[in-house]
Amino acid sequence: MKLTRRKLASALAPALLATRSARTGAAQTAAPAASEALDGARARIKQNGEILARQTVPGDTEPAFQFKA
Amino acid sequence: MAAIPDNVFFATATELNARLVAKEFSVEELARAFSARLDQLGPRYNALALSIPQYARRQAVAVARDLKNGRLRGPLQGIPYGVKDLLSVANHPTTWGAKPFAGQVFDYDATVVQRLNDTGSILTGKLAMVELAGGGGYRFASASLFGPGLNPWDRTRWSGGSSSGSAAAVAAGMVTFAIGSETSGSIVTPASFCGVTALRPTYGLVSRHGAMALSWTLDKLGPFAHSAEDCGHILQVIAGKDSSDPGSAGKSFYYVPQYARPMKDLRVGYAPVDFDARAEASARPAFQAALSVVRQTGAQLVETKLPPFPYGPILSAILAAEEASSFESLITSGKVDQLADAAQIAGLKAAIELPARDYLKAMRLRRLIQQEFQKFFSQVDMLVTPARPGPAPKIDEPLDGAAASAPTPPSDPGFGAIIPAGNLAGLPALVVPCGFAGNLPVALQFVGAPFSENTLLTAGREFQQLTDWHRRRPPGL
Repeated sequence: MKLTRRKLASALAPALLATRSARTGAAQTAAPAASEALDGARARIKQNGEILARQTVPGDTEPAFQFKA
Repeated sequence: MAAIPDNVFFATATELNARLVAKEFSVEELARAFSARLDQLGPRYNALALSIPQYARRQAVAVARDLKNGRLRGPLQGIPYGVKDLLSVANHPTTWGAKPFAGQVFDYDATVVQRLNDTGSILTGKLAMVELAGGGGYRFASASLFGPGLNPWDRTRWSGGSSSGSAAAVAAGMVTFAIGSETSGSIVTPASFCGVTALRPTYGLVSRHGAMALSWTLDKLGPFAHSAEDCGHILQVIAGKDSSDPGSAGKSFYYVPQYARPMKDLRVGYAPVDFDARAEASARPAFQAALSVVRQTGAQLVETKLPPFPYGPILSAILAAEEASSFESLITSGKVDQLADAAQIAGLKAAIELPARDYLKAMRLRRLIQQEFQKFFSQVDMLVTPARPGPAPKIDEPLDGAAASAPTPPSDPGFGAIIPAGNLAGLPALVVPCGFAGNLPVALQFVGAPFSENTLLTAGREFQQLTDWHRRRPPGL
């Protein structure tokens, strides 16, 4: 059987559509997961910052890196 | 051509070099045998990033000429080794274990590669690693361009990270020694899980020129090998001043065990809880037996405590700030999304938002930590504790899963935070295999004051004279 390009396109269209919607679905579920992971990472940084803020450091304590002129 | 006996693959560098000098086999034969083994076994454990047999062959020819002419360059001459794929080897790919850098090539050798090559060691390959050395905080062992690092003792277990390939390659006898890196745990962890000896040197002792920068104030390079003695010889070659590394301490290192204080003259700090309630139940018998061996050396064991600081949050803040700066263009360009591990991607994206005040507070606290450790090491000469509380986790379980399901930790923290604490203070640590939990190796770590490597190596050597854990071979290898 010979198929014209148009017939081939219309025959494949439902399959392509299904694939595309499956991909979109996957992307939609991946996006909240990524966003949750980012929120979690931000929350950990915030929590760490709060722990650091509770630490007292003598006023004359310089940070532990050296600058050489 | 002499047949290469199977036992060369697990011989120490010192032993192999003696056999080369005695002409039991040639440097070319040895290099060929190790290159073939790396090609054969490397992919089996996801330990191989790049095999370079022709490079090795060229080096071997030159070293053979030196040996023939009586130009002896020490115990590493003619010895096959590998490097973690975050070290540049001129005109060869250096991927940093990460897809966005898969095509990266530098035109110069890292200083450690140059120093080892100058002494006649034979580079046979580059070894797999966790992507970007895991700085973003990965959740799964699969966080690597090369797939999850599989443990030579049991392929259903992880080889540890981030220097996964370096540890696995030594454990499986694919190389005689390897170079890895540690920012916080990346040498200690894989060495412990794979049952090999490894040294995390004092910050600044080994040049990082040509190494991926994850955290300028925390990154260190160090050896994985079959014995503490080999680690000493390797450190002697790779240590030393390097004007190309702004963090260089400007100090050399000479491995002189004959001048180091013996264990019987040393005070060794420990926390009993580390060998009991803080250790996983399956590993406790091995850790307790190992502690008895330390006692048997004549060392005076002294109960002691880690100075109290929130080490984890301090280290996290410093690492996050420095990695976010180091990988700023990766993060802002969106290429960070090409990484394999979702937690790592999120960690890097969040890190770029870390407030400067957190970084500076952490660096000020770090100063206090250094001062406290100066006092600590005026009371004891070193401390001993399990390198990790238990053996390697299963390859497919979340790396934070064990912690989440663990029973409530004991109120005494022991030296549970020694990995972030030791890295914050720039302290050296020597990891020595000390037994098994089931079929999996576990290890001790000796941690000392900055630049006390000879003392730690002597402790390791004495421990290894009384035990044979470092001589054990994974089943079937």
